[in-house]
Amino acid sequence: MHIPDGFLTNRVAVSLDVVSGANILYAARRARVDFSSRMVPIMGVLGAFVFAAQMLNFPILGGTSGHLVGGCLLSVILGPMAGSLTMATVVLAQALFLQDGGLVALGANIFNISVVTCFSGYAIFKLLGGSAEGGRRLLIAGFVAGWFSLIISSSCCALEMALAGAIPLRVGLATMSGYHALVGIVEGMLTAGVLGFLSKVRPDLMKIDGVGRFGVWDWIGAVLFVALPAAVLAKAGSSGLPDPLEKLLAGSPLLVEAGAGSQKLSSSARYGDYLLRAGVFVLLIGSGVLAKRLARRKRSGP
Amino acid sequence: MRHNFIDRYAALESPLHILEPRSKLLAFTALIVGVLSIPVDRGSLFFVYFFATAVLMGISQIPLPYIMGRSLVILPFIVLASLAVPWKGFYGIGILFVRAILCLILLILLTNTTRFVELMRGLRKLGCPQILVMNLGFLYRYLFVLTEEAMRMKQARDCRRVGRAPFGEELKILSSMLGTLLIRSFERAERMHSAMLSRGYSGHFPVLSPRRFSWHDLVFLSGITLFIVLTVLLR
Repeated sequence: MHIPDGFLTNRVAVSLDVVSGANILYAARRARVDFSSRMVPIMGVLGAFVFAAQMLNFPILGGTSGHLVGGCLLSVILGPMAGSLTMATVVLAQALFLQDGGLVALGANIFNISVVTCFSGYAIFKLLGGSAEGGRRLLIAGFVAGWFSLIISSSCCALEMALAGAIPLRVGLATMSGYHALVGIVEGMLTAGVLGFLSKVRPDLMKIDGVGRFGVWDWIGAVLFVALPAAVLAKAGSSGLPDPLEKLLAGSPLLVEAGAGSQKLSSSARYGDYLLRAGVFVLLIGSGVLAKRLARRKRSGP
Repeated sequence: MRHNFIDRYAALESPLHILEPRSKLLAFTALIVGVLSIPVDRGSLFFVYFFATAVLMGISQIPLPYIMGRSLVILPFIVLASLAVPWKGFYGIGILFVRAILCLILLILLTNTTRFVELMRGLRKLGCPQILVMNLGFLYRYLFVLTEEAMRMKQARDCRRVGRAPFGEELKILSSMLGTLLIRSFERAERMHSAMLSRGYSGHFPVLSPRRFSWHDLVFLSGITLFIVLTVLLR
Protein backbone atom coordinates (compact mmCIF):
# COMPACT_ATOMS: atom_id res chain seq x y z
CA MET A 1 0.00 0.00 0.00
CA HIS A 2 3.05 2.27 0.00
CA ILE A 3 2.76 4.54 -3.02
CA PRO A 4 6.09 5.01 -4.81
CA ASP A 5 7.15 8.32 -6.35
CA GLY A 6 5.90 8.89 -9.85
CA PHE A 7 2.38 7.58 -9.39
CA LEU A 8 1.01 10.78 -7.91
CA THR A 9 1.07 14.16 -9.60
CA ASN A 10 3.07 16.84 -7.85
CA ARG A 11 -0.05 18.65 -6.80
CA VAL A 12 -1.65 15.68 -5.06
CA ALA A 13 1.62 14.56 -3.50
CA VAL A 14 2.73 17.94 -2.23
CA SER A 15 -0.68 18.87 -0.85
CA LEU A 16 -0.75 15.60 1.08
CA ASP A 17 2.79 16.34 2.28
CA VAL A 18 1.45 19.57 3.73
CA VAL A 19 -1.57 17.84 5.29
CA SER A 20 0.53 15.12 6.90
CA GLY A 21 3.16 17.57 8.04
CA ALA A 22 0.48 19.65 9.73
CA ASN A 23 -0.97 16.53 11.29
CA ILE A 24 2.37 15.43 12.67
CA LEU A 25 3.03 18.86 14.15
CA TYR A 26 -0.43 18.86 15.67
CA ALA A 27 -0.10 15.36 17.07
CA ALA A 28 3.35 16.16 18.46
CA ARG A 29 1.87 19.17 20.18
CA ARG A 30 -1.18 17.38 21.49
CA ALA A 31 0.74 14.37 22.67
CA ARG A 32 2.80 16.85 24.69
CA VAL A 33 5.64 14.46 25.01
CA ASP A 34 8.35 15.76 27.26
CA PHE A 35 11.64 14.67 25.77
CA SER A 36 12.80 13.10 28.98
CA SER A 37 9.54 11.28 29.63
CA ARG A 38 9.27 7.56 29.29
CA MET A 39 6.87 7.94 26.36
CA VAL A 40 9.80 8.69 24.05
CA PRO A 41 11.44 5.26 24.24
CA ILE A 42 8.05 3.57 24.41
CA MET A 43 6.93 5.13 21.16
CA GLY A 44 10.23 4.39 19.46
CA VAL A 45 10.40 0.79 20.61
CA LEU A 46 6.78 0.20 19.64
CA GLY A 47 7.71 1.45 16.18
CA ALA A 48 10.36 -1.26 16.09
CA PHE A 49 7.72 -3.67 17.41
CA VAL A 50 5.57 -2.99 14.33
CA PHE A 51 8.54 -3.83 12.13
CA ALA A 52 9.27 -7.01 14.07
CA ALA A 53 5.61 -8.03 14.22
CA GLN A 54 5.50 -8.00 10.46
CA MET A 55 8.15 -10.72 10.46
CA LEU A 56 5.73 -13.00 12.32
CA ASN A 57 3.53 -14.08 9.48
CA PHE A 58 1.44 -17.16 9.20
CA PRO A 59 0.31 -19.09 6.14
CA ILE A 60 -3.21 -18.52 4.78
CA LEU A 61 -4.00 -20.27 1.52
CA GLY A 62 -1.56 -21.39 -1.11
CA GLY A 63 1.71 -19.52 -0.84
CA THR A 64 0.32 -16.33 0.63
CA SER A 65 0.75 -15.29 4.22
CA GLY A 66 -0.77 -12.68 6.48
CA HIS A 67 0.67 -10.42 9.11
CA LEU A 68 -0.30 -7.58 11.41
CA VAL A 69 -0.22 -4.01 10.07
CA GLY A 70 -0.68 -2.55 13.50
CA GLY A 71 -1.92 1.04 13.12
CA CYS A 72 -5.22 0.38 14.82
CA LEU A 73 -3.61 -1.66 17.59
CA LEU A 74 -1.10 1.08 18.39
CA SER A 75 -3.71 3.82 18.40
CA VAL A 76 -5.91 1.85 20.78
CA ILE A 77 -3.01 1.23 23.15
CA LEU A 78 -1.20 4.56 22.94
CA GLY A 79 -4.07 6.85 22.02
CA PRO A 80 -4.52 8.29 18.53
CA MET A 81 -1.98 11.10 18.90
CA ALA A 82 1.00 9.08 20.05
CA GLY A 83 -0.17 6.16 17.93
CA SER A 84 -0.25 8.15 14.73
CA LEU A 85 3.15 9.65 15.52
CA THR A 86 4.58 6.18 15.99
CA MET A 87 3.05 4.92 12.77
CA ALA A 88 4.35 8.01 10.94
CA THR A 89 7.83 7.07 12.15
CA VAL A 90 7.32 3.54 10.86
CA VAL A 91 6.29 4.84 7.43
CA LEU A 92 9.27 7.21 7.36
CA ALA A 93 11.58 4.34 8.29
CA GLN A 94 10.09 2.09 5.64
CA ALA A 95 10.71 4.77 3.04
CA LEU A 96 14.28 5.36 4.19
CA PHE A 97 15.40 1.79 4.95
CA LEU A 98 13.42 -0.35 2.58
CA GLN A 99 12.48 2.21 -0.09
CA ASP A 100 8.84 1.25 0.45
CA GLY A 101 7.12 4.37 -0.78
CA GLY A 102 8.67 7.46 -2.28
CA LEU A 103 10.14 10.61 -0.81
CA VAL A 104 7.73 13.12 -2.32
CA ALA A 105 4.87 10.64 -1.88
CA LEU A 106 5.80 10.30 1.80
CA GLY A 107 3.01 12.65 2.82
CA ALA A 108 0.44 10.54 1.01
CA ASN A 109 1.75 7.37 2.63
CA ILE A 110 1.80 8.89 6.09
CA PHE A 111 -1.73 10.12 5.48
CA ASN A 112 -3.02 6.71 4.42
CA ILE A 113 -1.16 4.45 6.78
CA SER A 114 -0.73 6.54 9.88
CA VAL A 115 -3.29 9.35 10.02
CA VAL A 116 -6.31 7.64 8.51
CA THR A 117 -5.69 4.22 10.04
CA CYS A 118 -5.00 5.47 13.55
CA PHE A 119 -7.77 8.02 13.80
CA SER A 120 -10.46 5.94 12.13
CA GLY A 121 -9.43 2.82 14.04
CA TYR A 122 -9.50 4.62 17.35
CA ALA A 123 -12.82 6.31 16.62
CA ILE A 124 -14.49 3.06 15.62
CA PHE A 125 -13.07 1.27 18.66
CA LYS A 126 -14.41 3.94 20.98
CA LEU A 127 -17.76 4.16 19.20
CA LEU A 128 -18.26 0.45 19.68
CA GLY A 129 -17.53 0.95 23.32
CA GLY A 130 -14.37 -1.08 23.52
CA SER A 131 -12.73 -0.57 26.86
CA ALA A 132 -9.87 -1.96 28.85
CA GLU A 133 -12.14 -4.28 30.81
CA GLY A 134 -11.79 -7.06 28.31
CA GLY A 135 -14.46 -9.56 27.47
CA ARG A 136 -16.46 -10.08 24.34
CA ARG A 137 -17.04 -6.40 23.69
CA LEU A 138 -13.33 -5.64 23.50
CA LEU A 139 -12.80 -8.44 21.02
CA ILE A 140 -15.64 -7.36 18.74
CA ALA A 141 -14.64 -3.68 18.86
CA GLY A 142 -11.01 -4.61 18.14
CA PHE A 143 -11.94 -6.79 15.18
CA VAL A 144 -14.27 -4.25 13.58
CA ALA A 145 -11.87 -1.38 14.15
CA GLY A 146 -8.95 -3.31 12.67
CA TRP A 147 -10.92 -4.39 9.62
CA PHE A 148 -12.42 -0.99 8.90
CA SER A 149 -9.23 0.95 9.45
CA LEU A 150 -7.51 -1.13 6.78
CA ILE A 151 -10.38 -0.82 4.31
CA ILE A 152 -10.63 2.93 4.77
CA SER A 153 -6.92 3.51 4.40
CA SER A 154 -6.67 1.36 1.28
CA SER A 155 -9.59 3.14 -0.33
CA CYS A 156 -7.89 6.44 0.47
CA CYS A 157 -4.86 5.10 -1.38
CA ALA A 158 -7.01 4.20 -4.40
CA LEU A 159 -8.68 7.60 -4.23
CA GLU A 160 -5.35 9.42 -4.33
CA MET A 161 -4.15 7.39 -7.28
CA ALA A 162 -7.36 8.22 -9.09
CA LEU A 163 -7.05 11.92 -8.23
CA ALA A 164 -3.58 11.88 -9.70
CA GLY A 165 -4.91 10.18 -12.80
CA ALA A 166 -2.56 7.19 -12.46
CA ILE A 167 -5.09 4.42 -11.98
CA PRO A 168 -8.83 4.85 -12.63
CA LEU A 169 -10.93 4.86 -9.47
CA ARG A 170 -12.95 1.83 -10.50
CA VAL A 171 -9.90 -0.37 -11.02
CA GLY A 172 -8.07 1.00 -8.01
CA LEU A 173 -10.97 0.70 -5.59
CA ALA A 174 -11.91 -2.76 -6.75
CA THR A 175 -8.40 -4.18 -6.44
CA MET A 176 -7.16 -2.30 -3.38
CA SER A 177 -10.30 -2.52 -1.26
CA GLY A 178 -11.10 -6.04 -2.42
CA TYR A 179 -7.66 -7.28 -1.48
CA HIS A 180 -7.63 -5.42 1.82
CA ALA A 181 -11.12 -6.64 2.72
CA LEU A 182 -9.55 -10.12 2.87
CA VAL A 183 -6.29 -9.06 4.52
CA GLY A 184 -8.35 -6.95 6.91
CA ILE A 185 -9.97 -10.07 8.40
CA VAL A 186 -6.56 -11.23 9.58
CA GLU A 187 -5.72 -7.72 10.77
CA GLY A 188 -8.98 -7.49 12.70
CA MET A 189 -8.60 -10.90 14.30
CA LEU A 190 -4.99 -10.19 15.29
CA THR A 191 -5.89 -6.77 16.69
CA ALA A 192 -8.68 -8.32 18.73
CA GLY A 193 -6.47 -11.22 19.79
CA VAL A 194 -3.59 -9.04 20.95
CA LEU A 195 -5.95 -6.69 22.80
CA GLY A 196 -7.62 -9.65 24.47
CA PHE A 197 -4.27 -11.14 25.44
CA LEU A 198 -3.06 -7.81 26.78
CA SER A 199 -6.18 -7.21 28.85
CA LYS A 200 -5.71 -10.61 30.46
CA VAL A 201 -1.96 -10.49 31.06
CA ARG A 202 -1.06 -6.85 31.60
CA PRO A 203 -4.24 -4.78 31.91
CA ASP A 204 -2.20 -1.86 33.23
CA LEU A 205 -0.61 -1.36 29.81
CA MET A 206 -4.03 -0.79 28.25
CA LYS A 207 -4.47 2.40 30.24
CA ILE A 208 -1.43 4.19 28.88
CA ASP A 209 -3.80 6.12 26.59
CA GLY A 210 -3.53 9.12 28.95
CA VAL A 211 -1.34 10.95 26.49
CA GLY A 212 -3.30 13.72 24.80
CA ARG A 213 -6.97 13.54 25.64
CA PHE A 214 -9.35 12.94 22.76
CA GLY A 215 -11.47 16.09 22.65
CA VAL A 216 -14.57 17.11 20.72
CA TRP A 217 -12.57 18.46 17.78
CA ASP A 218 -10.60 15.28 17.52
CA TRP A 219 -13.86 13.39 17.34
CA ILE A 220 -15.09 15.61 14.54
CA GLY A 221 -11.80 15.18 12.68
CA ALA A 222 -11.82 11.43 13.13
CA VAL A 223 -15.42 11.14 11.96
CA LEU A 224 -14.55 13.21 8.89
CA PHE A 225 -11.65 10.90 8.12
CA VAL A 226 -14.01 7.96 8.35
CA ALA A 227 -17.03 9.52 6.69
CA LEU A 228 -15.40 11.08 3.67
CA PRO A 229 -13.87 7.96 2.12
CA ALA A 230 -16.92 5.96 3.20
CA ALA A 231 -19.22 8.36 1.34
CA VAL A 232 -17.12 8.19 -1.81
CA LEU A 233 -17.01 4.42 -1.48
CA ALA A 234 -20.77 4.18 -1.08
CA LYS A 235 -21.33 6.40 -4.06
CA ALA A 236 -18.90 4.46 -6.20
CA GLY A 237 -20.63 1.27 -5.21
CA SER A 238 -24.18 2.47 -5.80
CA SER A 239 -23.88 4.38 -9.03
CA GLY A 240 -21.08 2.34 -10.60
CA LEU A 241 -20.99 4.06 -13.97
CA PRO A 242 -20.25 6.84 -14.56
CA ASP A 243 -17.35 7.41 -12.24
CA PRO A 244 -18.60 9.60 -9.38
CA LEU A 245 -15.16 11.07 -9.03
CA GLU A 246 -15.39 12.62 -12.46
CA LYS A 247 -18.46 14.51 -11.40
CA LEU A 248 -16.70 15.60 -8.24
CA LEU A 249 -13.70 16.74 -10.23
CA ALA A 250 -15.77 18.65 -12.74
CA GLY A 251 -17.49 20.53 -9.94
CA SER A 252 -14.41 21.53 -7.99
CA PRO A 253 -12.03 24.08 -9.51
CA LEU A 254 -9.23 22.91 -7.20
CA LEU A 255 -9.12 19.45 -8.65
CA VAL A 256 -9.64 19.99 -12.37
CA GLU A 257 -6.11 18.84 -13.08
CA ALA A 258 -6.84 15.16 -13.14
CA GLY A 259 -10.38 15.55 -14.38
CA ALA A 260 -9.36 17.29 -17.55
CA GLY A 261 -7.00 14.45 -18.44
CA SER A 262 -3.35 14.43 -17.54
CA GLN A 263 -2.27 14.54 -21.21
CA LYS A 264 -3.33 18.13 -21.71
CA LEU A 265 -2.29 19.57 -18.41
CA SER A 266 1.11 18.03 -18.05
CA SER A 267 2.24 19.33 -21.43
CA SER A 268 5.57 21.04 -21.51
CA ALA A 269 4.06 24.49 -21.18
CA ARG A 270 3.14 23.49 -17.63
CA TYR A 271 6.58 22.24 -16.69
CA GLY A 272 7.90 25.50 -15.34
CA ASP A 273 4.57 26.12 -13.72
CA TYR A 274 4.76 22.78 -11.93
CA LEU A 275 8.26 23.41 -10.65
CA LEU A 276 7.26 26.88 -9.56
CA ARG A 277 4.28 25.55 -7.66
CA ALA A 278 6.33 22.88 -5.94
CA GLY A 279 8.90 25.54 -5.11
CA VAL A 280 6.26 27.79 -3.57
CA PHE A 281 5.03 24.94 -1.41
CA VAL A 282 8.55 24.16 -0.23
CA LEU A 283 9.14 27.83 0.53
CA LEU A 284 5.89 27.99 2.47
CA ILE A 285 6.79 24.99 4.58
CA GLY A 286 10.31 26.32 5.07
CA SER A 287 9.14 29.71 6.20
CA GLY A 288 6.63 28.12 8.55
CA VAL A 289 9.35 26.03 10.15
CA LEU A 290 11.66 29.04 10.35
CA ALA A 291 8.99 31.21 11.95
CA LYS A 292 8.25 28.52 14.48
CA ARG A 293 11.88 28.12 15.33
CA LEU A 294 12.41 31.85 15.71
CA ALA A 295 9.37 32.08 17.96
CA ARG A 296 10.66 29.25 20.09
CA ARG A 297 14.10 30.87 20.36
CA LYS A 298 12.54 34.11 21.45
CA ARG A 299 10.44 32.38 24.07
CA SER A 300 13.28 30.34 25.49
CA GLY A 301 15.69 33.31 25.39
CA PRO A 302 16.44 35.52 28.37
CA MET B 1 20.71 -13.29 11.16
CA ARG B 2 22.25 -10.65 8.96
CA HIS B 3 22.15 -7.29 10.64
CA ASN B 4 23.38 -4.99 7.95
CA PHE B 5 20.70 -5.52 5.38
CA ILE B 6 19.44 -2.00 5.78
CA ASP B 7 22.40 0.25 5.24
CA ARG B 8 25.00 -2.13 4.03
CA TYR B 9 26.91 0.30 1.84
CA ALA B 10 26.43 3.43 3.90
CA ALA B 11 29.91 3.29 5.42
CA LEU B 12 31.87 3.54 2.15
CA GLU B 13 33.91 6.65 1.45
CA SER B 14 32.88 7.66 -2.05
CA PRO B 15 32.47 11.29 -3.13
CA LEU B 16 28.74 10.90 -2.53
CA HIS B 17 29.23 9.46 0.93
CA ILE B 18 31.35 12.29 2.26
CA LEU B 19 28.73 14.96 1.56
CA GLU B 20 26.91 16.68 4.38
CA PRO B 21 23.49 15.01 4.91
CA ARG B 22 21.46 18.18 4.60
CA SER B 23 22.81 19.10 1.17
CA LYS B 24 22.34 15.51 0.02
CA LEU B 25 18.72 15.42 1.21
CA LEU B 26 17.97 18.71 -0.52
CA ALA B 27 19.71 17.80 -3.76
CA PHE B 28 18.06 14.40 -4.08
CA THR B 29 14.64 15.80 -3.26
CA ALA B 30 15.18 18.43 -5.95
CA LEU B 31 16.17 15.73 -8.46
CA ILE B 32 13.11 13.63 -7.62
CA VAL B 33 10.83 16.65 -7.96
CA GLY B 34 12.57 17.35 -11.26
CA VAL B 35 11.84 13.83 -12.53
CA LEU B 36 8.25 14.08 -11.36
CA SER B 37 7.77 17.36 -13.20
CA ILE B 38 8.90 16.06 -16.60
CA PRO B 39 5.94 16.56 -18.94
CA VAL B 40 4.53 13.48 -20.64
CA ASP B 41 5.27 14.74 -24.14
CA ARG B 42 8.96 15.37 -23.47
CA GLY B 43 10.17 11.80 -23.21
CA SER B 44 13.72 12.77 -24.17
CA LEU B 45 14.17 14.54 -20.86
CA PHE B 46 13.94 11.16 -19.16
CA PHE B 47 17.13 10.15 -20.92
CA VAL B 48 18.86 13.25 -19.59
CA TYR B 49 17.78 12.42 -16.05
CA PHE B 50 18.63 8.79 -16.55
CA PHE B 51 22.13 9.80 -17.61
CA ALA B 52 22.52 11.96 -14.50
CA THR B 53 21.28 9.12 -12.29
CA ALA B 54 23.73 6.72 -13.93
CA VAL B 55 26.58 9.14 -13.26
CA LEU B 56 25.55 9.41 -9.60
CA MET B 57 25.29 5.60 -9.43
CA GLY B 58 28.83 5.33 -10.79
CA ILE B 59 30.20 7.86 -8.32
CA SER B 60 28.49 6.21 -5.37
CA GLN B 61 30.41 2.88 -5.76
CA ILE B 62 27.33 0.91 -4.75
CA PRO B 63 27.16 -2.37 -6.73
CA LEU B 64 24.61 -2.34 -9.53
CA PRO B 65 22.99 -5.72 -8.67
CA TYR B 66 22.24 -4.42 -5.19
CA ILE B 67 20.44 -1.37 -6.57
CA MET B 68 18.54 -3.52 -9.06
CA GLY B 69 17.46 -5.92 -6.33
CA ARG B 70 16.27 -3.08 -4.19
CA SER B 71 14.23 -1.66 -7.08
CA LEU B 72 12.01 -4.74 -7.06
CA VAL B 73 9.83 -3.29 -4.29
CA ILE B 74 7.98 -1.41 -7.00
CA LEU B 75 6.67 -4.61 -8.66
CA PRO B 76 3.19 -4.73 -7.02
CA PHE B 77 2.48 -1.22 -8.20
CA ILE B 78 3.58 -2.07 -11.71
CA VAL B 79 1.14 -4.98 -11.72
CA LEU B 80 -1.60 -2.70 -10.43
CA ALA B 81 -0.82 -0.05 -13.03
CA SER B 82 -0.78 -2.63 -15.81
CA LEU B 83 -4.47 -3.16 -15.13
CA ALA B 84 -4.96 0.45 -16.21
CA VAL B 85 -3.45 -0.04 -19.67
CA PRO B 86 -6.87 0.04 -21.41
CA TRP B 87 -7.47 3.50 -19.98
CA LYS B 88 -4.13 5.11 -20.46
CA GLY B 89 -2.44 3.18 -23.28
CA PHE B 90 1.00 1.59 -23.28
CA TYR B 91 2.81 4.87 -23.71
CA GLY B 92 1.24 6.45 -20.64
CA ILE B 93 1.95 3.43 -18.46
CA GLY B 94 5.49 3.16 -19.85
CA ILE B 95 6.16 6.77 -18.85
CA LEU B 96 4.75 5.98 -15.41
CA PHE B 97 7.19 3.08 -14.97
CA VAL B 98 10.22 5.05 -16.09
CA ARG B 99 9.33 7.91 -13.79
CA ALA B 100 8.75 5.62 -10.82
CA ILE B 101 11.95 3.64 -11.37
CA LEU B 102 14.07 6.77 -11.73
CA CYS B 103 12.70 8.20 -8.47
CA LEU B 104 13.23 4.89 -6.73
CA ILE B 105 16.87 4.64 -7.80
CA LEU B 106 17.48 8.19 -6.61
CA LEU B 107 15.95 7.34 -3.23
CA ILE B 108 18.06 4.18 -2.98
CA LEU B 109 21.16 6.21 -3.74
CA LEU B 110 20.27 8.78 -1.08
CA THR B 111 19.63 6.32 1.71
CA ASN B 112 22.50 4.01 0.88
CA THR B 113 25.16 6.69 0.79
CA THR B 114 24.26 8.23 4.14
CA ARG B 115 24.89 6.72 7.54
CA PHE B 116 21.73 6.52 9.51
CA VAL B 117 22.83 8.84 12.30
CA GLU B 118 23.80 11.41 9.72
CA LEU B 119 20.45 11.08 7.99
CA MET B 120 18.68 11.71 11.27
CA ARG B 121 20.79 14.76 11.95
CA GLY B 122 20.05 16.07 8.46
CA LEU B 123 16.32 15.56 8.92
CA ARG B 124 16.41 17.34 12.26
CA LYS B 125 18.36 20.28 10.85
CA LEU B 126 15.87 20.56 8.01
CA GLY B 127 13.09 21.12 10.51
CA CYS B 128 11.64 17.65 11.01
CA PRO B 129 9.97 17.59 14.48
CA GLN B 130 12.34 16.29 17.11
CA ILE B 131 9.89 13.71 18.40
CA LEU B 132 9.76 12.08 14.98
CA VAL B 133 13.52 12.03 14.59
CA MET B 134 14.00 10.57 18.07
CA ASN B 135 11.40 7.91 17.42
CA LEU B 136 13.21 7.06 14.23
CA GLY B 137 16.44 6.73 16.18
CA PHE B 138 14.94 4.33 18.70
CA LEU B 139 13.26 2.40 15.93
CA TYR B 140 16.53 1.95 14.10
CA ARG B 141 18.46 0.92 17.18
CA TYR B 142 15.91 -1.59 18.48
CA LEU B 143 14.71 -2.89 15.17
CA PHE B 144 17.33 -5.62 15.11
CA VAL B 145 16.85 -6.58 18.74
CA LEU B 146 13.10 -6.98 18.40
CA THR B 147 13.30 -8.66 15.01
CA GLU B 148 15.68 -11.19 16.49
CA GLU B 149 13.27 -11.72 19.37
CA ALA B 150 10.44 -12.26 16.91
CA MET B 151 12.50 -14.74 14.92
CA ARG B 152 13.34 -16.68 18.08
CA MET B 153 9.67 -16.86 19.01
CA LYS B 154 8.81 -18.04 15.53
CA GLN B 155 11.48 -20.73 15.72
CA ALA B 156 10.16 -21.87 19.07
CA ARG B 157 6.64 -22.10 17.68
CA ASP B 158 7.78 -24.03 14.63
CA CYS B 159 9.73 -26.46 16.83
CA ARG B 160 6.75 -27.21 19.04
CA ARG B 161 4.14 -28.04 16.51
CA VAL B 162 3.96 -30.57 13.72
CA GLY B 163 2.08 -29.65 10.60
CA ARG B 164 -0.43 -26.88 10.69
CA ALA B 165 -3.14 -26.12 13.22
CA PRO B 166 -6.64 -25.05 12.13
CA PHE B 167 -7.00 -21.43 11.02
CA GLY B 168 -8.56 -20.13 14.23
CA GLU B 169 -6.05 -21.91 16.42
CA GLU B 170 -3.21 -20.57 14.30
CA LEU B 171 -4.50 -17.01 14.70
CA LYS B 172 -4.83 -17.46 18.44
CA ILE B 173 -1.25 -18.65 18.74
CA LEU B 174 -0.02 -15.79 16.62
CA SER B 175 -1.91 -13.15 18.59
CA SER B 176 -0.50 -14.49 21.85
CA MET B 177 2.97 -14.31 20.34
CA LEU B 178 2.37 -10.75 19.22
CA GLY B 179 1.02 -9.86 22.64
CA THR B 180 4.11 -11.32 24.30
CA LEU B 181 6.33 -9.42 21.90
CA LEU B 182 4.41 -6.24 22.68
CA ILE B 183 4.82 -6.71 26.42
CA ARG B 184 8.51 -7.43 26.04
CA SER B 185 8.87 -4.28 23.92
CA PHE B 186 7.18 -2.24 26.62
CA GLU B 187 9.36 -3.65 29.33
CA ARG B 188 12.48 -3.13 27.27
CA ALA B 189 11.50 0.48 26.67
CA GLU B 190 11.04 1.08 30.38
CA ARG B 191 14.39 -0.50 31.24
CA MET B 192 16.03 1.57 28.53
CA HIS B 193 14.46 4.70 29.84
CA SER B 194 15.81 4.23 33.34
CA ALA B 195 19.22 3.32 31.91
CA MET B 196 19.20 6.47 29.81
CA LEU B 197 18.15 8.66 32.72
CA SER B 198 20.84 7.26 34.94
CA ARG B 199 23.42 8.11 32.29
CA GLY B 200 22.41 11.75 32.19
CA TYR B 201 20.00 11.74 29.25
CA SER B 202 18.25 15.05 28.70
CA GLY B 203 16.44 14.62 25.42
CA HIS B 204 19.41 15.04 23.13
CA PHE B 205 21.80 12.62 21.44
CA PRO B 206 25.28 13.85 20.55
CA VAL B 207 26.74 12.74 17.19
CA LEU B 208 30.39 11.76 17.04
CA SER B 209 32.40 13.35 14.23
CA PRO B 210 29.53 14.68 12.12
CA ARG B 211 30.15 15.54 8.49
CA ARG B 212 30.52 19.28 8.02
CA PHE B 213 29.52 21.50 5.14
CA SER B 214 32.57 21.80 2.93
CA TRP B 215 33.56 22.72 -0.61
CA HIS B 216 32.44 19.26 -1.74
CA ASP B 217 28.88 20.16 -0.86
CA LEU B 218 29.18 23.51 -2.59
CA VAL B 219 30.36 21.83 -5.80
CA PHE B 220 27.68 19.13 -5.57
CA LEU B 221 24.83 21.51 -4.84
CA SER B 222 25.82 23.95 -7.57
CA GLY B 223 26.16 21.06 -10.03
CA ILE B 224 22.67 19.77 -9.23
CA THR B 225 21.19 23.27 -9.39
CA LEU B 226 22.87 23.90 -12.75
CA PHE B 227 21.55 20.58 -14.04
CA ILE B 228 17.96 21.30 -13.03
CA VAL B 229 18.05 24.86 -14.39
CA LEU B 230 19.47 23.55 -17.68
CA THR B 231 16.76 20.91 -18.04
CA VAL B 232 14.10 23.55 -17.43
CA LEU B 233 15.66 25.92 -19.96
CA LEU B 234 16.28 23.27 -22.62
CA ARG B 235 12.94 21.53 -22.41
